[in-house]
Amino acid sequence: MITFIYGGSSSGKSAFAESLLSGLDDEKKYYLATMDAYDSESILRIERHKKAREGKGFCTIECPCDIYKAGSQLPVSEGSAVLLECMSNLLANEMFRDGEIMEADRCVDKIIKDFENLMAYVRDMIIVSNNIFEDGNIYDDGTRAYMAALGLINRRLAAISDEVYEVVVGIPVRIK
Amino acid sequence: MVLVIGGSNQGKTDFVINKFGKESIFDELHFFVRKKMDEGYTEEKILEEIREKIKGGSTVLIADEIGNGVVPMDSTDRLWREVTGRILIKLAAEATEVYRVVCGIGQRIK
Repeated sequence: MITFIYGGSSSGKSAFAESLLSGLDDEKKYYLATMDAYDSESILRIERHKKAREGKGFCTIECPCDIYKAGSQLPVSEGSAVLLECMSNLLANEMFRDGEIMEADRCVDKIIKDFENLMAYVRDMIIVSNNIFEDGNIYDDGTRAYMAALGLINRRLAAISDEVYEVVVGIPVRIK
Repeated sequence: MVLVIGGSNQGKTDFVINKFGKESIFDELHFFVRKKMDEGYTEEKILEEIREKIKGGSTVLIADEIGNGVVPMDSTDRLWREVTGRILIKLAAEATEVYRVVCGIGQRIK
């Protein structure tokens, strides 16, 4: 089963995603962390999230790129539950890798393929992604390409998900 | 307490006046948060101030959803939307009703 969780910044996506993961009956539960700690602000965010996850019994796998590689760390036999947090960081890490901007469509295809490979090891998947689309500003080419890619990933993942939620001020609104 | 959220220019205030009347409206809560941040208040202190202001009455709080955009370049802007988001989550949890207004139409989500 795939659950897709969408929402703005500080809307309560993580707390909801973690409560869903806690409620699953899979024997093994993994937290796939895609955020790279590159400055003091991201370190603070990571610490905040780590603290919120404390004592919940999730095993954390750090995976800023190439999420298919995390499959080798998951037990094959029983299948596992995985919370992937979050798609927007994964995309940024993949797209702006090695100081170059990867073309949006190619980048999306790569990430979806990695995701499908990872799913071979996963029974229940929860994906967290971001709403970055509603400020009406016009951005530079790199940011626009990133927005286009994230929008496409969100659509493709929502299409293959069993349930889709938008989290608004901490309230999950089911939209699929 | 009732919380009404939505994007800018969606008709939140009109929705509230029509549904709840003009009494006890606390509008533009997101700007209140920003003002207090600029004055050096912490997140906890701002939340305390809001709770103090709405104490004992049946206030309708109105705030813009400011977290649904690209991560701002400016660090204060980034912090503003995070602090506002976290404060709204706490207020929504305490609210008896929460509405999200889109195109003037209020959808009850709690």
